[in-house]
Amino acid sequence: MKKISKFTVDYLGYVVKGSPKFYGWVAFLSMFILVWVYGNYMQLTEGMIITGLTDQVSWGIYLANFVFLVGVAAGAVTVVFPAYVYKHKAMHEVTVLGEMLAIAAVVMCLLFVIMHMGRPDRLWHILPVIGIFNWPHAILTWDVLVLNGYLVLNLIGGFYYLYKKYCHEELNKKFYLPVIYIAIVWALSIHTVTAFLLNTMPARPMWHTGMMPIRFITTAFAAGPSLIIIVFLIVRNNTRMMIKDEAINLLSQIVVWCLGIALFLTLSEVVTELYHPTEHSMGLQYLMFGYHGLNNLVPWFWGSLVAMVSGFILLLIPSIRKNYKLLPWICAMIFLGIWVEKGMGLLIPGSIPTPIGEITQYSPTFLEIANSLGNWAIGFLVLTILLKGAIGILLGDISYAKTEGGK
Amino acid sequence: MTNKKIPVTQPADQSSCSCSDAQANPACEMPDDNVSESRRGFMKDVGGLSVASLMGTAALLTNSDEAQANTEWAEWFQGNYRLMTDEEKARAVARLERRYSSEYGKKVTVDTTPAQDGVLFGYALNIQKCIGCRRCVKACVQENNQSRGEREIEWIRVLKMEKGDFSVGKMKDGYPGDFGIQVGGNAYSASGVVLEGEHYYEPEKVPDADAFYMPIACMQCEKPPCVKVCPVRTTYREPDGPVVVDYNWCIGCRMCIGACPYWARRFNWGKPNLPKEEMNPNTHYLGNRPRMKGVVEKCTFCIQRTRKGRYPACVEVCPVGARKFGNLLDPNSEVRQILAKKRVFRLKAEMNTYPKFFYFID
Amino acid sequence: MSTQHCFRTSGLSGERITMKISQGIAVVLALLVAAPAVWAAEAAKEVVCFESREGGASDVLQREIAPGLLNVRCSPTTGGVLWWGDPYDGTVPMGEMPIEADYSHAEAVVKPRSAKLTLLPICGVACHNGTYPPPPKNKDPRKLTMHMDLVPDSMNLQHGRGAIWCLDCHSAKTRNKFIGHNNELYDFDQPQKLCGKCHGQIYRDWREGIHGKRIGEWATTGKKRWFVCTECHNPHDIQQGKRNSGFVQLKPEPAPRLPKGVYNADHERHHLQKGAAHGEAKPASGGH
Repeated sequence: MKKISKFTVDYLGYVVKGSPKFYGWVAFLSMFILVWVYGNYMQLTEGMIITGLTDQVSWGIYLANFVFLVGVAAGAVTVVFPAYVYKHKAMHEVTVLGEMLAIAAVVMCLLFVIMHMGRPDRLWHILPVIGIFNWPHAILTWDVLVLNGYLVLNLIGGFYYLYKKYCHEELNKKFYLPVIYIAIVWALSIHTVTAFLLNTMPARPMWHTGMMPIRFITTAFAAGPSLIIIVFLIVRNNTRMMIKDEAINLLSQIVVWCLGIALFLTLSEVVTELYHPTEHSMGLQYLMFGYHGLNNLVPWFWGSLVAMVSGFILLLIPSIRKNYKLLPWICAMIFLGIWVEKGMGLLIPGSIPTPIGEITQYSPTFLEIANSLGNWAIGFLVLTILLKGAIGILLGDISYAKTEGGK
Repeated sequence: MTNKKIPVTQPADQSSCSCSDAQANPACEMPDDNVSESRRGFMKDVGGLSVASLMGTAALLTNSDEAQANTEWAEWFQGNYRLMTDEEKARAVARLERRYSSEYGKKVTVDTTPAQDGVLFGYALNIQKCIGCRRCVKACVQENNQSRGEREIEWIRVLKMEKGDFSVGKMKDGYPGDFGIQVGGNAYSASGVVLEGEHYYEPEKVPDADAFYMPIACMQCEKPPCVKVCPVRTTYREPDGPVVVDYNWCIGCRMCIGACPYWARRFNWGKPNLPKEEMNPNTHYLGNRPRMKGVVEKCTFCIQRTRKGRYPACVEVCPVGARKFGNLLDPNSEVRQILAKKRVFRLKAEMNTYPKFFYFID
Repeated sequence: MSTQHCFRTSGLSGERITMKISQGIAVVLALLVAAPAVWAAEAAKEVVCFESREGGASDVLQREIAPGLLNVRCSPTTGGVLWWGDPYDGTVPMGEMPIEADYSHAEAVVKPRSAKLTLLPICGVACHNGTYPPPPKNKDPRKLTMHMDLVPDSMNLQHGRGAIWCLDCHSAKTRNKFIGHNNELYDFDQPQKLCGKCHGQIYRDWREGIHGKRIGEWATTGKKRWFVCTECHNPHDIQQGKRNSGFVQLKPEPAPRLPKGVYNADHERHHLQKGAAHGEAKPASGGH
């Protein structure tokens, strides 16, 4: 017990101290969070009328970010899987960083999904026992289960590992390995279930395709590791933590192949839908070409496509893939490309036209964007803190022996 | 007057202090009515903020707006309507009646009449007769206390369907990819998607010579996709057919809006705008009682009227008698006669939702 | 022979008084004074809304039937009835139907029109110096000197495509009754008995509640106000409106609000421009 409290104190003490760069970063994020506080106050008092959402397009950037971030959370498995299944040495050393990213991403998911709710004050209605949990009928309840389960698994897996490292104790493999293996499968489940959330609705023909889960997973395994590569390179350049090239190289390979498959699936879908367009392909047509002057989404679609295709082609070239000056920028481009593809490219045109054929436009309001950015800022703050603590422990900056010895 | 029993629209029970004439009789005002607007607005905001500020609410309970705050406090803890005992229902209804009456300055009743045995509501609409006048749309708003003005909510949407044009002159035009039903063209010109229906038509007079009209509202499906996806079972199918929403249990996740193939559900993006003088005081718990912000609402076949025997409001105002309503279990009902004798179809039958809303032609 | 004309000349002076004496007569006056604008100037407070035929057989005078309860609520934009406070207001039992239908006789009510026709004798007094002109000798079409607003071209009556004429339905002698081809008389409250003689299929549908309109209670045995033929259709001018559907064109209620992010409905209306110049889809400016 004493060890655990010491761990907590040391961990917190370590993460709040840092260089001016660190404080600058936190201050930068805090700016967004301040606006977020205002935006949330407005949304809670005025209602969702402060957003650009309408009855026609009732799922907007909150849910788009949610869907995307589920993918990022699932993407963490690209670190854990090679480490434990293929015993990839370089990856094994940084597994816990992947888990920390997953935690931060799930936190963002939860923030976004709560922000999407019209009545967050009634959240307790969904809790089993005191509320009504419509499981197994409602896919949303599955999503609640898998997301929270994934959060718990990663919290256990990550912090158990860090705690043992902190104490210089051996891992109890009988406990730890099952958690890891379950988490690997679970990671697939979160994005699969989130895809099911959308594609089990025949009312929305653009989503109603069996290709959705695999598209979700391939884009997730491109976007997730893209972010991880960026994070790893930042960590490598700013801390003493040495992340081996092999780990980054493996991740960039995963990005390029998953991105390739994702693009192939997009191509298949476009050909299927547009060779002989039916009413069901109206959403895709609206997305790609607009409709009589209603073309908000058109630049986003083509921009995202250019980002993804050029990212894919660039990463196919080994010399570029291994150029760590260029790599983070390409990864950022891919990450943003997939973010747009999930949001402006998939979630919003799913609602346009409406099931009775009305074509509309959706543009998020300032407060809606501010709230979304705030969620991201909170997520990055959580990620920064988690990574900082984890790196501190991995580097041995904080350990039980040290604090005990220091006394 | 020959009215024998018209329960729904009779003025509310006048036994207690009637407040339908509150302006005329100041003594008639509800006890909470002297609360200043700003205070009330503030309390409502607090209600919205909830968990975090419930503590704050508790602190404020001792203040002047006690009844209002108590009501919202109690409403917050209220269970799902279907799981309530009769006693709990009575308490919830009394609470709501008190709050609505004070809010709208008249005696508001909240009915809980359950479904009758042997009744399954069905609706039939003569698509050949409909002239697209949208009177049903506006009648529905009046009857069901929908939000007005900038926050307008309408449960019925009428589509204008162009008859389109086949003519020699248009042979080379290809498929226009528009809203027409019949289009000219040839086999190799790019085949655009034909979307049917114009939503915002505003001609001087209807019906247009070259159009027919297609009103769409909730189909009260036998297998409603919206019910299946609701994570908290706040929306469900009543035994007599209508799919209803317990507005006090809805968490506003809008899964149902996504799942509905008929775009029949609406969301209260902000606090609904319902002018006091236009408020219909005869309400049902599952029907037209005033909604709060952040919850979903929809057509209930006017449950507050139909449970008491009256036709839905849209049926009664249709100037061409295109709307028919009745008991599907009664072989002599108007709807059953139509099913037996007319050519009937259901919208998006391929969805396997089994609507109880039928379209027919003579 | 125009009831309407009579009231234009004789009724105006006493109109206000008449109204106060009897609201029932006031309704009739409202109907008979054809120009609603004149009417509005006469009594600004009265709201007359209409059911199916504007300025016709289905006008309703708005009034309070109980404290705070109006008999009808009307559309502020079109004057159409939007809500029935009491569906049975001012109705009478419909009476027997010639062929048995599965409905409850006692519970079927109609809004009487014959009441309006009790004023007929006044015509004789006010316009024709106490005597009626002699009834026409035969049913042959002839140019009307009255009722021109109701029947625009009496020599080419479209109802029946020239096969029938006014006196095939209106009794030449008993002016407040309809007449059938066997010289049997029908009440103005039950025009369906006459109309159904030709329009049998529609009559059967109407009897079963498929055609036409009923308000009140949905149950088969419930009390209903039945709308009779002439409350929706104008038999004198069935061609009215471009649509030739036997039903007059109406001003529609306003369109729904455009959703956020959409500023006009031009995208819906592009096809309207397409006909003339192919491919040159210019944004439409407003409606039709």
